[in-house]
Amino acid sequence: MSIDFFKRLALLSLLVLLQALVLNHIHVFSCATPLLYILIVLQFSTAQPRWSILLWSFTTGLLMDIFSNTPGVAAASMTFIGFIQPSVLRMFLSKEKIEEECSPSLKELGWLKFVSYTFILTFIYSLLFCTLEAFSFFNITIWAESVGGSTVITLLMLIAVEKIRE
Amino acid sequence: MHNLSEFLQKYHHWFIFLLLEVVSMVLLFQFNGYQGSVWFTSANAVSGKVYEANAAVNQFFSLAKVNEQLTQRNVFLEQRIQQLSEQLEKATGDTTIASKPIMAAIAGNRVIPARVISNSIDKQDNFITLDKGAADGIKPDMGVVGGTGIVGIVYQTSRNYSIVIPVLSSHSRISCKIQGRGYFGYLHWDGKSPRHAYVDDIPRHAHFRLYDKIVTSGYSSVFPPGILIGKIIHVYNSPDGLAYRCMVELSTDFGNLRNVCVVDDKIMRERLEVQRAAEDSIKNKKE
Repeated sequence: MSIDFFKRLALLSLLVLLQALVLNHIHVFSCATPLLYILIVLQFSTAQPRWSILLWSFTTGLLMDIFSNTPGVAAASMTFIGFIQPSVLRMFLSKEKIEEECSPSLKELGWLKFVSYTFILTFIYSLLFCTLEAFSFFNITIWAESVGGSTVITLLMLIAVEKIRE
Repeated sequence: MHNLSEFLQKYHHWFIFLLLEVVSMVLLFQFNGYQGSVWFTSANAVSGKVYEANAAVNQFFSLAKVNEQLTQRNVFLEQRIQQLSEQLEKATGDTTIASKPIMAAIAGNRVIPARVISNSIDKQDNFITLDKGAADGIKPDMGVVGGTGIVGIVYQTSRNYSIVIPVLSSHSRISCKIQGRGYFGYLHWDGKSPRHAYVDDIPRHAHFRLYDKIVTSGYSSVFPPGILIGKIIHVYNSPDGLAYRCMVELSTDFGNLRNVCVVDDKIMRERLEVQRAAEDSIKNKKE
């Protein structure tokens, strides 16, 4: 139980509350909902063990499901991006950097790489989330709008958060 | 065996991934049929508490609006009750059905429900403002009655509002009688307690008791007879010693007046007109 664990737990609670009480009620153009809680997955450094990433992302997803009455949807999607996060991060890092502990921040990656990395994970997440959510009620236009809208608004919010933290 | 454990160690995250995905999928597909899964929705205790706290905060900020809506609803319902009890009385012809004897006394007259929007009880000449005016059919000199008794007389009307001179005014003189005994007098107020008024000129030979009820006489054109004003709680001699003076405890609580009715007594007015016409013709004859 390191300090890191508790910091992450605090961030998780904050994100869950923020999402449940504020962000879930935002529907820009009735399609784009910010899914800011994927921040918890985006943050893991190369040193984080994969099982830990998986458990964290599953827990976040499950909590979001509990609060927004979408059982399994966020949990499945979060687990998936938790699974691919280390591979995606490694795509943007040189060999030397992978060896040392490197966290995916704007400072470490630079603008282009950071935005691309964030975009890939956000897009995959939105795609999975909207697809699973629309499982029984499939309308291609609404689905595409939700995926696109949520990706854009979440990406903008993530970049803003990163810029503030810097 | 060694190979197996090595394999598990190397690819353990795959197993965790698959396990978690399976759990998620089970949740996703079993949700509707599986009652126990209520645990994984916002109906569980923790998320329920969070949303409850959130709702409490939201409710607090919308209280003013809710209050306004409730007041509107309340007024609407009170008017509805009044309409229905009137209908009930008309339909059954049995005035004892109505819980309010006051309403029974004014049944048969046109009644205009109104709300008190401003009121005072602490001055020498108090006024009450009602939210109905000439547009609703209110005219000066109509009687105003509350749920528990008499209130006053309409003094002036504008299009949408009207001013009432209540019993609690030095200008108020309402013709009244002791119920069941038939002695008449005038009700007036001494400007002190908003709970008490006085009836003068009850003759010395009159037989009555304490706690007899004072009601409207019906001699003026303002009120139909028999509307409750209050009860006698004290009897004095008049200053000249020729009559009694009764202290009356008013049945209407003027400090807490919300909904009233304006009585439009057409028959009364007709009678008054005939009376005036008769007086005029006598005058003309004399001349």
